[in-house]
Amino acid sequence: MADPETRYRVGVDIGGTFTDFCAFDEHTKQVHALKVLSTPETPGREVIEGLRQLEERFSVSPPEIAYFTHGTTVGVNTVLQKKGIRLCLFATEHFVDVLEIGRLKMPDPYNLKSRRPDPLVPKERVIPVRERMRSDGDAEAPVDEKSVAEAVERARALGAEGIVVALINAYRNPAHEREVAALVRRLAPELPVFCSSEVWSIVREYERTVTAVIHGYVQPRVSRYLGSLQEALRDAGVPAQALVTKSNGGVMSAEQGRKDCAQMILSGTAAGVIGASHVAGLSGYPNAISFDVGGTSADVAFIRGGEPQYGIGEMIGGYPIYIPSVSVTSIGAGGGSIAWMDELGVLKVGPESAGANPGPACYGRGGDRATLTDAFAVLGYVGQVDIGYRAVRIDVEAARRAVGTLAAPLGMSVEEAADSILRIAVSGMYLEVSKLMSAYGVDPRDHALLAFGGAGPMTACFLAEELGLRDVVVPATPGVLSALGGLIADLKNDFIKTVYLDLEASAAPSIREEFAALRERGARWLRDEQGYEGEPHYACSADMRYRGQSFEVETELDAAAIEADDVDSFADAFHAAHQRLYYHSDPGAPVQVINLRLVAVGRTPKPGFAPEAEREGGAEPERRIPVYAGGARRQVPLFLRHRLRPGDRIQGPAVVAQEDTTLCVADGFTGRVDGYRNLLLHREGE
Amino acid sequence: MSVDNVTLQIFANHCSAAAETMARTLLRTAHSTFVRESEDFTIGIVTPAGKTFASPFALGATWFVGLDYANALSLIDEYHEGDICLTNDPYSGFVCTHSPDMHLWKPVFHGGELICFVAGHIHNTDVGGAVPASLSRTLTEVHQEGIRIPPAKLYRRGELNEELLRILLTNVRMPEQNWGDLKALAAAMNTGERKVHEIVRRFGVDTFREGAEDLLDYAERQARNVIRRIPDGEYFFADYMDEDSDGGYPARIALNLVVDGEEITFDYSGSDPQLASSINIPTGGDERHVLMMVGLVYVLYTLDPTILRNAGLTRSSRCVLPEGSIVNPRFPAAVGMRSLGTVRIMSTIFGAFAQALPDELQAGPGGGGPLLNVRTTDNRTGRRVMANISPITAGAGGSAAGDGTEGNGANQAFFKNTPVEINEAETPIRILEYSLSRDSGGAGRCRGGLATSMTFQVFSPHTVLTARNRDRVRFTPWGIRGGAAGKSSEFVLNPGSNHEVDLGNTDVVTVDPGDIVRITAAGGGGYGPPEERPAEQVLGDVRRIFVSVEGAQRDYGVVIRGDSIDAEATARRRAEMAAGRGSGFFGHSAARVAYETRWTRRAYLRLHEMLGRLPVHWRFYAKHRIFESVEAATAEGEEAADEALEQAYARLLALNPELGNALDPVR
Repeated sequence: MADPETRYRVGVDIGGTFTDFCAFDEHTKQVHALKVLSTPETPGREVIEGLRQLEERFSVSPPEIAYFTHGTTVGVNTVLQKKGIRLCLFATEHFVDVLEIGRLKMPDPYNLKSRRPDPLVPKERVIPVRERMRSDGDAEAPVDEKSVAEAVERARALGAEGIVVALINAYRNPAHEREVAALVRRLAPELPVFCSSEVWSIVREYERTVTAVIHGYVQPRVSRYLGSLQEALRDAGVPAQALVTKSNGGVMSAEQGRKDCAQMILSGTAAGVIGASHVAGLSGYPNAISFDVGGTSADVAFIRGGEPQYGIGEMIGGYPIYIPSVSVTSIGAGGGSIAWMDELGVLKVGPESAGANPGPACYGRGGDRATLTDAFAVLGYVGQVDIGYRAVRIDVEAARRAVGTLAAPLGMSVEEAADSILRIAVSGMYLEVSKLMSAYGVDPRDHALLAFGGAGPMTACFLAEELGLRDVVVPATPGVLSALGGLIADLKNDFIKTVYLDLEASAAPSIREEFAALRERGARWLRDEQGYEGEPHYACSADMRYRGQSFEVETELDAAAIEADDVDSFADAFHAAHQRLYYHSDPGAPVQVINLRLVAVGRTPKPGFAPEAEREGGAEPERRIPVYAGGARRQVPLFLRHRLRPGDRIQGPAVVAQEDTTLCVADGFTGRVDGYRNLLLHREGE
Repeated sequence: MSVDNVTLQIFANHCSAAAETMARTLLRTAHSTFVRESEDFTIGIVTPAGKTFASPFALGATWFVGLDYANALSLIDEYHEGDICLTNDPYSGFVCTHSPDMHLWKPVFHGGELICFVAGHIHNTDVGGAVPASLSRTLTEVHQEGIRIPPAKLYRRGELNEELLRILLTNVRMPEQNWGDLKALAAAMNTGERKVHEIVRRFGVDTFREGAEDLLDYAERQARNVIRRIPDGEYFFADYMDEDSDGGYPARIALNLVVDGEEITFDYSGSDPQLASSINIPTGGDERHVLMMVGLVYVLYTLDPTILRNAGLTRSSRCVLPEGSIVNPRFPAAVGMRSLGTVRIMSTIFGAFAQALPDELQAGPGGGGPLLNVRTTDNRTGRRVMANISPITAGAGGSAAGDGTEGNGANQAFFKNTPVEINEAETPIRILEYSLSRDSGGAGRCRGGLATSMTFQVFSPHTVLTARNRDRVRFTPWGIRGGAAGKSSEFVLNPGSNHEVDLGNTDVVTVDPGDIVRITAAGGGGYGPPEERPAEQVLGDVRRIFVSVEGAQRDYGVVIRGDSIDAEATARRRAEMAAGRGSGFFGHSAARVAYETRWTRRAYLRLHEMLGRLPVHWRFYAKHRIFESVEAATAEGEEAADEALEQAYARLLALNPELGNALDPVR
């Protein structure tokens, strides 16, 4: 048993509206969860408030908190709200339009007026420096110090608060970027400098530059924020060093986060998927679709063999960021999606959303347009019990009025209109999720839908039916999965070296040496920067492609094969990976290695979740409530989630209400509460 | 519409999901990088009558909305379960528009009854013929553009037709790639069939059938609602391609757009006769041919992005396509580079609609830059390298809503470039510059988007550059409402040196070690009088290096000294500009103005009337002879008079007695 000093592990996820807390008690193996309102104006205050409530409600005393992780949207919000610092970009002369040109393609190519968002560094603050690095890493022209001095002068005149240095072919040889950065530091020590080759050193100038720009744009703000959080924790008497969750699904020290903030842009979202994969794994579903539905949008991620899928190029406010991240796709459907009728009388739901403010009509905050949540209220699923810590009273009459405005022109009863809104919303979600399933090659028959967020459990059964999924999992604490994910995550960092080699026997020694160098960096990161003392774990991979292809396939490489210079096995691994992804491979074709990658992992102690014994017999419903389903009102059982015990069984149709969400158990589904209090719903196939 | 409005929306979502699934299956399994990177493919679900009613939302080529399979479908006698049919012949059924596009379709049966087809196409990199990749402007007959397969069964009741496949693969340069891509497309057909069966199970076969028709009706009604917002009237516009053949005369597309209530007629009488180069557009005279409707679809979708994109959209519109013209060539005219022709059709349509909706639409989109391909040798390895360098693109035209997008946009917004670093790592060339071209955007209150420009050096002898779709040197993207035309595109060898060569619209050139090549597209047209652009904004453009100090003064009347505006000089210069401004709607390049001074609308009417008397196979030749005579006989700045035209025509007949026989075989 752990000593009293290390009793609690606390995960916190700070979102735009709410901050979620998840505290794991090593003594009782219980998880306590709560939410408080976020205080974006005074970061850190919500953490203190949450810690206070944890102590008050669950007797979690701050000095007993031995482990503290934390995810935040502060980076994303800085980009979305355009509140980053005033940056200048130093670019290679004659290539200064890299951000304006991008990769050319517009977001909606059918619309003549489609445009990308304005670059975070407008052109007037892009300043050329004279130098040129060749693609083989030799200098074509040295750095012209005078041009750098002029650039610094101009940057100052333009009121720069930071400089991004991103030069052509720096992925191959960063010497020029470093030289320019050193000059800037000497000439303008007050300005922070960010080099593209240090933020994430990939080939492709736009991708590398835009990533460095996002990094520089948010860094000072994120750093300040993390500083005040660390201070707040110290003041509250928490002994643990704060960790922050990263886009790659791992954690790092907050101290590191202040430097590497590009790594934590998708902090909360990624942690949510980690939490989801943990829950799915515990419940026996290594393959799952994580479905997190909020007010405006739904985040979808795929979990395979217990592992989330990773990718690069996630979009943030219209800007791509090329940092290895848990792949999460946002679709424009949520509880606040507004139902409307087009001029031909066809009913639509979304993408416009009532958001948090005014929110659905039934929240009584001034919204008067029908939303998906209002449809659920009219149908009788929502509004049966008070939503506890959201402090929201459901006004069913307001929902009926809002839905009624559509019912009349549709020639329907209010219930029929609500049912139509639900069915159309679900078919829209089906369209978006099935796109992703076919892109990833996901077979619906061996995947479960893991539903969370305020509106996920409401829609999950209906969506599962459309998608042909048999199983739905609703976690015990669906509102705080990101906070939970932070408790599960390992220390983890990605390292990359672009080598651009033809895969031939002669390349083997340099591949081996580069991996050794990456491993050394990984070891240093874990040991020196994270203070990790355990056994380090390394995963090696390479981004490879057939010569002539314009994209790479990440291929896992075996450490022993790297040591043995076994290039044939690298090629075999690539052919196999290509076959798996695209259903064909070309073993005779020449292969190129573009990047070598290494993931360094320091395993953190995991909370020891233990299953409770399952009790026999069904759960007792709280009462029966009238729900409109299948064209008529019928009495269905209402259960309260906190009264359900492991082993309890539920037969759909039924409603399970809990503090932060409502679960609609559709006709044809049977549910069971497992030993971890997750609710597993299953339907028999056709 | 017979299916209720709620079910219809749900049905629409399920059909879209089926199309999306097919598209992603194809993208994931296609062999050639080309299909995956350029997304040059279509996929969809088609009614038994051949009308596409469902397709993916944002994947695939943007030019084929509502593709009509009707004629091609009817060229197969009988359909059975498991059949997959194929064609790539631009003259059989007019669904395929050039030979590299391989179209497949598969009938879907329910209870023995045909309920729909699933269909799609991919652009193969090569289908044989005279040149690698099968496409060149210089080709004159479709026979030179590779193997052509009229509608035939690739699979019969699920059995592969190996004979047909062998014939196909024997005739192409990279058979494995073609077969790999074909397999992927066939797999997508099978996926589509399975998804259709799922939809039928969920909705019932009657709803499926009626729903498909209803979706077409729905799109038609949406289109009619948008068209109703467009003021009734006739709107004439002509646009040109610089050359109708290598070094030839301009090729003219003329459109009389007639908007009448909810209906539109596109009358292309007045467009040039079919060309002895491959820019022709094979429509078969189909009055709703998909390539002739791309411009309309863009306009409708831009005016209302909620419209469904299917074959119903264009039902209330029709085209008049004179036989033997660029827009309805007679077999065996070459059609491989119909993309250049189609882009010009679009700009012509945009010009006509801009007059009807000047507050909502844009000035001429930039363009004319090539798809650039380099074949060279790596001096270190001796390996021959062939690579697609970036498409050289240009921005959108300005509009009341603001400046055109820089570097790319409007109807070219689907293009993707190749990064400089990839080009340099893959191809032994050095890129000296890749940027937005200063002063290239047409001046205007709202400026036209800038063109991109690339300069590079090659290091090996016998380096061949292919620059497909070069255009817009002479006839540049037009401005509207006082806005100026975009700057010309450029293709220059060794710029600024004593051996500089202007390559004009050349599409293939061989260069030597050390040679430097610069290519720039033509910028978008401007909107509104440039002297009305706030001077601060012009100064901002100067600071962004989008406009030069000289350009600011010349094009915008903004006089800049040091880093600030000379208010007094600016006011003076701007007053002059405003006083000298004409009232014309369009702002054209000086070259176009000069050209149209000679070749007026009236002269063209006469010319086309004469050419119309001749047999189709004489017209292109005759056009060139008449141009020669007329241009010799007419002074600069003078209209081509009726007499000059008559004399040229008489001379043509006199020199070609065979033509006389052809005109009057009896004599």
